[in-house]
Amino acid sequence: MTGVLEGEMQELRRQATDALVELRDLVVDYAAPEGRVRAVDHVSLEIRPGEIVGLAGESGCGKTTVANAIMQILRPPARVTGGRILFQGEDLIGRSSEDLRRYRWRNVSMVFQSAMNALNPVMRVGDQFVDMMRAHERIPRRDALARAEELLELVGIDGRRVRAYPHELSGGMRQRVIIAMALALRPELVIMDEPTTALDVVVQREILQEVDALKRELGFAVLFITHDLSLLLEFADRIGIMYAGELVETAPARGFAEEALHPYTLGLLRSFPPVTGPLERMKGIPGTPPDLAKPPSGCRFHPRCPHCLPEDAPLHARQTQERPVLREVGAGHRVACHLVEAGTS
Amino acid sequence: MSALEVAGLTKDFRKLRAVDDVAFELQPGRITALVGESGSGKSTVARVIARLYEPTAGSVRFEGRDATSRARRHDVLRYRSQVQMIFQDPFGSLNPVKTVAHHIERPLRIHRIVPRSQVKARVQELLETVGLVPPEQIAPKYPHELSGGQRQRVAIARALAVEPSVVLADEPTSMLDVSIRIGVLNLMLKLKEERGLTFLYVTHDLASARYVADDMLVMYAGQIVEQGPTEQVLQNPLHPYTRLLLSAVPDAGRSREAFARAPRRVADATVGCRFVARCPLAIDLCRREAPTLEEAHPSQSARCHVTAPRSWQASA
Amino acid sequence: MSQLEPTVLELPVAAPPRARTLRRVRVPGWLLLLLRNPKSRTGLLMIGTIVLVALIAPLISVSDPNGFSITAARQAPSWHHLFGTTDQGSDIFSQVVVGARRSLLLGLAAGALATALATVLGITAAYSGGVVDDVVNFLINVFLTIPPIPLLVVVSGYLKARGMGTMILVLAAVLWAFEARILRGQALSLKNRDFIHAAKVSGESTWRIVFGELMPNMISRIAAAFVLVFYIALLTDAGLEFLGLGDQSKTSWGVTLYWAQTNSTVLQGEWWPFLFPGAALALTVLGLVLVLAGIDEVSNPRLRVFRPKRGVLRTLLVGARA
Repeated sequence: MTGVLEGEMQELRRQATDALVELRDLVVDYAAPEGRVRAVDHVSLEIRPGEIVGLAGESGCGKTTVANAIMQILRPPARVTGGRILFQGEDLIGRSSEDLRRYRWRNVSMVFQSAMNALNPVMRVGDQFVDMMRAHERIPRRDALARAEELLELVGIDGRRVRAYPHELSGGMRQRVIIAMALALRPELVIMDEPTTALDVVVQREILQEVDALKRELGFAVLFITHDLSLLLEFADRIGIMYAGELVETAPARGFAEEALHPYTLGLLRSFPPVTGPLERMKGIPGTPPDLAKPPSGCRFHPRCPHCLPEDAPLHARQTQERPVLREVGAGHRVACHLVEAGTS
Repeated sequence: MSALEVAGLTKDFRKLRAVDDVAFELQPGRITALVGESGSGKSTVARVIARLYEPTAGSVRFEGRDATSRARRHDVLRYRSQVQMIFQDPFGSLNPVKTVAHHIERPLRIHRIVPRSQVKARVQELLETVGLVPPEQIAPKYPHELSGGQRQRVAIARALAVEPSVVLADEPTSMLDVSIRIGVLNLMLKLKEERGLTFLYVTHDLASARYVADDMLVMYAGQIVEQGPTEQVLQNPLHPYTRLLLSAVPDAGRSREAFARAPRRVADATVGCRFVARCPLAIDLCRREAPTLEEAHPSQSARCHVTAPRSWQASA
Repeated sequence: MSQLEPTVLELPVAAPPRARTLRRVRVPGWLLLLLRNPKSRTGLLMIGTIVLVALIAPLISVSDPNGFSITAARQAPSWHHLFGTTDQGSDIFSQVVVGARRSLLLGLAAGALATALATVLGITAAYSGGVVDDVVNFLINVFLTIPPIPLLVVVSGYLKARGMGTMILVLAAVLWAFEARILRGQALSLKNRDFIHAAKVSGESTWRIVFGELMPNMISRIAAAFVLVFYIALLTDAGLEFLGLGDQSKTSWGVTLYWAQTNSTVLQGEWWPFLFPGAALALTVLGLVLVLAGIDEVSNPRLRVFRPKRGVLRTLLVGARA
């Protein structure tokens, strides 16, 4: 057991020098009327420069909380109560609010799900850019507007649209505006939280391809958060799966579908009917995600897991009482599952 | 003998033509998918059929009668006992201050499906049918006490209460968690197989349409641009929009291929084909004349001059 | 699949408490909720007390509320006159206690009538739309722009009958429009929710949708409208009396307050003609507002909080959360 742990630590240390953002055993709690709710439970994750890391999971799994923690925009009743968030090796927790203000948007920026929530409906688009840029640097208005035009062109919108109001643009264009704003200060990491969920499939693909191209041109990393795992399979470099506040599996995107091991991941993969290829009755995952105020003991997925062993099997006690830990099972592939650990699956 | 027919259906909202001359038939005991993006008019079609809107022109024929005309309450009730609807937002489609039991009892009482003494028992049966067990614990609950998937099942139970023959499902899974969706889709398949229900499944998700639907209708800008059996349409799409949709859908099964980037979107044309600005196959004719829905293969039609040109053979 | 749906073993909090039988009296579920919520329990106690006082008023008022007495005029509160006397020598305690009857009745009736009008017209206009909505909107605007006092003057000139009935009608006529506009607005935002569409598709009649599905979602706002009208009715009561619409021989809080004001009693350091009727009015309204808090819980299941059963006495002594 210790040998494996040491190996883990060594690998972590090795990667620490590479990682742009590193979460080590992050814990985020909410104070809810019914008690403490642990939204993020000892999550460790690295994001290296220039890579696209996808974080997939369903409602309540904690992925948005992770994003908010990295952006340092968590507000009470949510609090980071454990672990570290390292940006380029330095811990963000405990930094002064002035430091954090400069960090936000300059080093890490965020694209939210609904552009309409992020754009002021009574201001012209260009003015919103100007507002944002001048909050971070002294720049004359004319120059800021010129930069805004450039940024719009960068994301495929006619630069003259700086004079438009948000409601004059289509949904896809508004989302592009948000992406342009997120790139304005050339951050090293862009967090995208369900950026295309509200858009149609065609626009979604266009935008994602643009983001890909921009990433290659400008060299930023992306943390892409979504419930749509099939998007990540095509778009991400590495994928992490979250369930009930925990990270249950991480692996490279290439070959993900074939090599996934965690029962929840497999269940998720089996929830997307194929558009091509043979068609058969699918099962999805029975049951519902757990109440985070009273999560199941042991492995959080065990009430819904088709592989959870019956009561007399020796592993059953572990599954219901002991939380599985992420263990390396292949190159860059980590799974938190007792069954995988035990060699049966 | 179709279960329900829509002919020449047009719906305007002030100056906007949301639905333009739509016609199709729902075959009994089959699931027909109505696929399109937001703004394509697909939800409007469903709502017109559900008699929530009145059409500007055209008709919906059910059991040989026009269901959209101003009818007597008796006829409207008869229609509503046969044609039901499931809505997209599981929470919004339930009254937050009423229990699950209330939602399912009301249609039973309005249409007098069972005598008063049996209403409670029938509510429990319906809850069991949609997989909400134990029913006696679910029935007194309020919507906010249920999960999204459970709420949608309540909505389905409510629709089933009147024992309809046609169910209009307007994006029933798009607001549910991914792993829950399959459960609801499987329930639809089970109801089709066991009870011979006819479904109109409105969605923007091609993958789920393929999973449940026997037939597919593709809508763009208020018009039907392609129709035919699902597998046939997906394996051999005729209309360029269908092809575009198909290539845009994320699919684990496909490799990361380059996606033909459509030219920058401009307003849809008013003369000629509406898709012409985004169409890689557009020819001169497309800009001048609007194409009509033509049958290019047996039982598969498309609205495209290039892939489904008007046949010069006079219909016999 | 079935055994994995969460089965609920704990008490369903949102279900209304089953009506209980306390010593052969069936107490309905909603009343139980109102009694369990500490705020509304306090409010009910306050209002209950005031109503009780009004009911036994003839028994406890020692003097004639309208009696004159030069010798007893302008006396501060004493054992003989608990609330003091007016400038005419009338006993204020009697006035407050007897006046409670008229005031409560007036507030209740005018509030109920105005709220009923506002609810029916506002919601029907919102749901029906079209011509009905236009007509009701027009009515609302007319009634809102007409200044109340001139309206009252004109009306009082025409109405032959005097007394409570007339006052109630006039008050309701002046006050319904304000709330109707607000309720119409709320109904408009609710009517496009899918559950209303679903009710329509189920075959519900318009009438049942409006009163069975829509209105239950608006109970909080309707109750609040009632309290507001109640309050305003009591304040304008005096003005109406002055215009001659009321019955001069009967007393009420509004009248007492009115005379206190016109006689500049405060300028002379006499606080009692204001304080006691004013406090009575304020306490009544406060009680109603506290009950509103409980009504929120009754009408909206999402707000219901689990409160374990315990005796009333224990709750009073120990508190609800102990």
